[in-house]
Amino acid sequence: MEAVKNAFDFGDMPRNELGLAAVVLAFLLSFPLMPHSSFGMATMIQFLMFSLYGMGWNLIGGYGGQVDLGKAQYVGIGAYTTAVMMIRWDVPFWFSMPVGMALAVGWSFIIGYPLFRLKGHYFAIATIATSLVLKDLFEVWNFVGGARGLEIPLKGDFPNWLYLQFREDYYYYYVILGMFLIGFIYMNGFRHSRLGYQLRAIKDNEHVARSLGIDVHWSKIKAYAVATAYVAMVGSFHACYNFNIEPEDTMSLDLSVLIAMMAMLGGAGSMWGPIIGAAILVPMKNYLGSWLGGQAGFAGIDLALYGMIIMFIAAAQPRGVYGIVEAMRARRR
Amino acid sequence: MEELGIQILKSLVSGLLMGLVFALVALGLTVIFGVMDIVNFAHGEFLMVGMYTTLLISPLLGVDPVLTLPLAGLVGAVLGVLCYFGLIRFLLRGPMIAQLFGTFGLMIFLRNLALLFMGSEPRIVHQGWLVGKSIVIGPGVVLESTKLAVAVLSLLSFAVVWWLINRTKVGKALTATSLDAEGARYMGISTELMNALAWAVGGASVGVAGGLLVNFWPVDPGVGLLFTMIAFATVALGGFGSVRGALVAGILIGLIVNLPPVWDAILRSIDAVGLRGLDIHSFKYTMVYAIYFLIMVLRPQGLFGWKQ
Amino acid sequence: MALLRINNVSKHFGGLVANRDVSFDVDQDEVVGLIGPNGAGKTTLFNCIAGFYPVTSGTVVFDGQDITPLRDFQVARMGLARTFQIFQASGDLKVVENVMVGSFMRTGSRGSARRAALEVMEFLGIAETAGEMMTELPVAAQKRVALATALASDPKLLLLDEVGAGLNPSEIDGLIALLQRIHTERGVALLLTEHVLEMVMKLSHRVIVLESGQKIAEGEPAQVVKDPEVVRAYLGDHYVKRQKEGGDA
Repeated sequence: MEAVKNAFDFGDMPRNELGLAAVVLAFLLSFPLMPHSSFGMATMIQFLMFSLYGMGWNLIGGYGGQVDLGKAQYVGIGAYTTAVMMIRWDVPFWFSMPVGMALAVGWSFIIGYPLFRLKGHYFAIATIATSLVLKDLFEVWNFVGGARGLEIPLKGDFPNWLYLQFREDYYYYYVILGMFLIGFIYMNGFRHSRLGYQLRAIKDNEHVARSLGIDVHWSKIKAYAVATAYVAMVGSFHACYNFNIEPEDTMSLDLSVLIAMMAMLGGAGSMWGPIIGAAILVPMKNYLGSWLGGQAGFAGIDLALYGMIIMFIAAAQPRGVYGIVEAMRARRR
Repeated sequence: MEELGIQILKSLVSGLLMGLVFALVALGLTVIFGVMDIVNFAHGEFLMVGMYTTLLISPLLGVDPVLTLPLAGLVGAVLGVLCYFGLIRFLLRGPMIAQLFGTFGLMIFLRNLALLFMGSEPRIVHQGWLVGKSIVIGPGVVLESTKLAVAVLSLLSFAVVWWLINRTKVGKALTATSLDAEGARYMGISTELMNALAWAVGGASVGVAGGLLVNFWPVDPGVGLLFTMIAFATVALGGFGSVRGALVAGILIGLIVNLPPVWDAILRSIDAVGLRGLDIHSFKYTMVYAIYFLIMVLRPQGLFGWKQ
Repeated sequence: MALLRINNVSKHFGGLVANRDVSFDVDQDEVVGLIGPNGAGKTTLFNCIAGFYPVTSGTVVFDGQDITPLRDFQVARMGLARTFQIFQASGDLKVVENVMVGSFMRTGSRGSARRAALEVMEFLGIAETAGEMMTELPVAAQKRVALATALASDPKLLLLDEVGAGLNPSEIDGLIALLQRIHTERGVALLLTEHVLEMVMKLSHRVIVLESGQKIAEGEPAQVVKDPEVVRAYLGDHYVKRQKEGGDA
């Protein structure tokens, strides 16, 4: 009971942040009703997906203070579980998604145990290594389609809620928005849980945390498992939304780093960080791509610009956009 | 059985040569990390810049690719210094997260700038003293002259950097900065200058590596990532910041990557048809990542590391 | 039965001997002071007791159980809390949240953790800082928060490592009174190391003197002060000088 109460307790957030959140929520709920292009809709869906990825990343990267650059492997596990189960055994999305989450969490325990003995750069690069190993395996594993990946067959009978197959994008939008809201509220509860407080104490000072009876290693592994569940859930959605998955787009280093960048850009360790980061980076990347990327003879100019902007942000505001908000708040006091 | 013996010899030779290339690529990374604890995600892109430099300059000046190596090194050094003053200096003020973030931005930037100007098709040096020549040192064992030259120059570069760090005043100042930046500042050493120097040395060595590599490895804008990962693995295996470690680890990784043909030969010689389905050639770099992971977990300081 | 029993504990770092065959007890109703010149091995001994370092030889028995093989967080869960000599607050936690991390050792519920934290803060007289950020507090207040966090884990024994360091004389008087109340009203046994000797002398029922990693004296504060061995090793300069300063002020 208390867990539910904690999840809906927003009392420790500043009043103006709550007001802003209400406006954003109203906008998100009504977005499909407003005039929009299919490009705009796709961008919004991606925004919600990356917000959730970022929330997962933030658990261990933000609250736990360790930079994870291997999140894509869990996107892949979620996506492949759903796709394989749907193609081979006709299993509906709502069953395969929890299975994918469970498999991903299981894998996260296996690699988390050795991983969390590492810190700093060593941890970050080791997460890349595990993710690349898994990707290489999937690229040669015929059962999951190898490098060419998998294509999910259409089941017909649209809108098909069981297999999450729709003709119109706004169905997908509301499904991922539902996941987003559940994810956000769960995160708020997590923040108020014993593990949530302990993680923040660990980030502050591991020695002090241990002297307060916290098993630092095990706490990190547990938080990592929760983070993994978030990412794998969206991975399953990704498979249904794209109909087509391959190791390159579900497990690449680029995806892992993009996830990390969302949360870092927004400000690691804050509730809003991943959402702010996704709200900036996803549209920026998409619009730069559609504006410049399509022009003949200028391939790469969009991403070069994108890289420049990222460099600039990292150099000018190392604590992320939310750091600016916090600095402003501190000055007002 | 005879075939197996030849294959082992072949793999040893080419592994050794390839390993020296990997070591040279990793040298710059380990120098930079040793001095300032920063991991450069754009390291492979520096290599790419070196490769393109040789590829473009050589026909432009009408000289052999090998003669453009000093230029490739110079371009690498300038790039390193520019990056230091334009980006890294600012990143150092932030948390580690900002460093990863910033150098990853640099990686995307350089990769796509190359795509914009060079296009996506892979290119390689077609003419030159080294191209296509080889020395036969035994039945079936061939030394390609490109790789031999790379190996020799790699050893030479290591000697130069080792001399620079261990035998010169500047090197002592670099070491002092890496051990205790604050203390070095009190001793009148400009850490700013030392950091810039580390980036210059790191950039130069990886630029030279690129100029050599393009003689036998095609360059395209995406070539960097594989080498960044190999360099990370090499540096981790050898110990972050250790020059000697990078050399030994590079050779080890070169040998590991050349294991699959030996494996095939073993399978053929014992006639294990059932195992043929397992094509381990596609796993040769996977093994590098896996070994990297194991090293990190079992011995985080690497073989020769002293930083924790 | 002593609450804490240290049997022949030695700690070596390579060839360096930080503690050699140290033995003593702390009872539930006691305040024990651990003194000695710089480098005598006080903090190392603390770290061995708290499970932060493994001991080289000897045993540590706490509350009837051999805790020598336990890790630091397991020792903490047994009811042996500690404060750190160097305390750096850097995080984004509010004061009350920081203290709650301590009470979460005994409860999984946020409500009861919060109530326990506020009760301890009330007891220590820092309840009004509950909503502030750690980084905004002065050092003396931060130290009290650290004390509150340790107390919130409801320990039987509290190890205090140089809690008086960096405080001015009036703050030290306040701290002495506070520690006395912690001991008498909450029934927590205290084991403290301290440079500020008046504090040890006023608070402790018993004093143990370490020099070069070995115990050289043990007894009531008044007796220990007279022990020629101790005077030679340690008190000779410092205590006398300090007494004079105190007299002048």
